[in-house]
Amino acid sequence: MALFLYFKGEFSTGSHLFSPLSPYDAELPIQTAEHGVFGSQLCQPKDLHTDFSSVDLSFLPDVTQDNKEQNLSEDGHEMQTELDGSRANNEDSGISMDESSLSHPGAAQPSPEASGVCPSLTPMTPITPATSASESSGIVPQLQNIVSTVNLACKLDLKNIALHARNAEYNPKRFSAVIMRIREPRTTALIFSSGKMVCTGAKSEEQSRLAARKYARVVQKLGFPAKFLDFKIQNMVGSCDVRFPIRLEGLVVTHQQFSSYEPELFPGLVYRMVKPRIVLLIFVSGKVVLTGAKERSEIYEAFENIYPILKGFKKPS
Amino acid sequence: MAYQLYRNTTLGNSLQESLDELIQGSLNTYRFCDNVWTFVLNDVEFREVTELVKVDKVKIVACDGKNTGSNTAE
Repeated sequence: MALFLYFKGEFSTGSHLFSPLSPYDAELPIQTAEHGVFGSQLCQPKDLHTDFSSVDLSFLPDVTQDNKEQNLSEDGHEMQTELDGSRANNEDSGISMDESSLSHPGAAQPSPEASGVCPSLTPMTPITPATSASESSGIVPQLQNIVSTVNLACKLDLKNIALHARNAEYNPKRFSAVIMRIREPRTTALIFSSGKMVCTGAKSEEQSRLAARKYARVVQKLGFPAKFLDFKIQNMVGSCDVRFPIRLEGLVVTHQQFSSYEPELFPGLVYRMVKPRIVLLIFVSGKVVLTGAKERSEIYEAFENIYPILKGFKKPS
Repeated sequence: MAYQLYRNTTLGNSLQESLDELIQGSLNTYRFCDNVWTFVLNDVEFREVTELVKVDKVKIVACDGKNTGSNTAE
């Protein structure tokens, strides 16, 4: 859904990009060329100082309407250089795009309405095949917390910030950072004198980025030349409910190389999945917490992996 | 030990409750610096047995009482 907004705002001339396919369709058959596919399309139209790089999903959250603001143009610059770097893949990508456009003869016409073709474009929907041999769980883990970091790229006077900003705490004896909160999106930021900042509490990647931007703006308004460099999501936490009780004792026996279960220490089984590298906390009630993800898809993938295993350990009622 | 809550916060396991926080939602802003708390509340009722005072805005400035915090040097 967020991706849809990006297209409406930033591709007034439309692009060949998304008329034929949703990015997921493109992604599955065309693995290596994908990076170049969209990159080439983007390089062709006029100079987009918008920072849309390839459709490689991990870049998507970096594109926001805010990027048009000058003070945040650093971000755009980084993206633009990545874009240029992908130009080299033009040839291959050209070929693959032709193949895909065959299925949609009208695709060649750039049209702003092309974005209407992809109403289902959500940057982070899980890549579960619609019809798979094994049924998917039908349960979607909900994101509960996102931790991200960003570099404001200037030294900060924390006392100054604590005294003039609203909703700030600064107790250097205990912790040498300002703890600031905003109500929308409801998040907390730790701001350090080096200019680096941690933003926690957001429920989505976009919200985390938006919140970080708001904190940066607060710092900026206080007179510091804050920038917005290297925004990165460091951790994502999700949770869901399988709706049946689970035999944790059984699970820890059969999956001992991945599980640790010490009910006297902690009531949940800690399952360290290898691929994707996600840690799951599994409880007798059937509630599951997933953490350690850098991308939303890892959470979804981990849950789809664990669900059949958990079904096998359903407590007989 | 009064700082237990803030232990969690500083580790980034943020307690959002401090914003959601009560004062039944009339907390406008808060600040903590140099061991002094400053709160700004809106639409507050001060109630005493005999009297009732309503204000649109109240600023509370609070320092540590007793000896807590006063011994440690900055």
